[in-house]
Amino acid sequence: MTPSRHGSAHIEFPNELDVLITREFDAPIALVFDVLTKPEHVSKWGATPPDQMTECSIDLRVGGTYHHVFVADDGTECSFRGTYLDVEPPTRTAETWLFDGWPDTEAVETMQLHETDGVTTLTMRLAFRDKAGRDHMTRFDGQQDSFDAMEDILRSLLDLKGTSPS
Amino acid sequence: MARSPTTSDVFNAIAEARRREILDALTAGEKAAGTIVAGLSLSQPQVSKHLRVLSEVGLVQCRAPGRHRLHSPEPARLRPLHEWLARYEQIWNERLDRMDDYLKELQNRESSSDT
Repeated sequence: MTPSRHGSAHIEFPNELDVLITREFDAPIALVFDVLTKPEHVSKWGATPPDQMTECSIDLRVGGTYHHVFVADDGTECSFRGTYLDVEPPTRTAETWLFDGWPDTEAVETMQLHETDGVTTLTMRLAFRDKAGRDHMTRFDGQQDSFDAMEDILRSLLDLKGTSPS
Repeated sequence: MARSPTTSDVFNAIAEARRREILDALTAGEKAAGTIVAGLSLSQPQVSKHLRVLSEVGLVQCRAPGRHRLHSPEPARLRPLHEWLARYEQIWNERLDRMDDYLKELQNRESSSDT
């Protein structure tokens, strides 16, 4: 039994536009690719409990679209959508990334996989078109966080600027 | 769209690689701008400009005991950033840990159906 890799994701902000996330999995590349790109799999792990994933559609081909909808406990919805720019199973996909909470923001997400000795490394790069876009990401992360947590992060940034309301 | 200017945001202040180099140089101890210039491949005006940004967000403090202004880092100002990053890392870890668990579950299912 291999030791747990929980908590081992590595996050970097290599420049002003990108967010880079790296994580290893003890699984063959083909399976990791499927778990990342097939709706029957993504719908199983995509939502952060108690949030639920109410829609997960993925048309995995160049020009195809995806749409993911999450509903929080209080009924608040958020969704992500985009179009595939590149699909090369099982090593790579590139897709546009649009979050309904940040209508001014466009990004391209690239997922790259490679396998060595049964260990598959996932590298996800989220490249924002402009700095205002990535600034959203560095203020709070809407992708899998509840709106409460976003508010906490916003608050801590307000504290940082010395304008705490409390 | 409203967005904070670079100088009011710690995150943006340290997003610039040169400013991180300057902060790194200062962690070894208080320094005059001239000493920083000598240690890095930057011009005096560039170093002054970066120091101004860093001190405007409170990451660097200045004092002028004699002829030279001395600059020192204020690491406490990085703490909210550190906390924020830890939280961000936690969010991503939770997500990818769930994916990891799901992968394990699938593999266990596969290996038990093989036997």
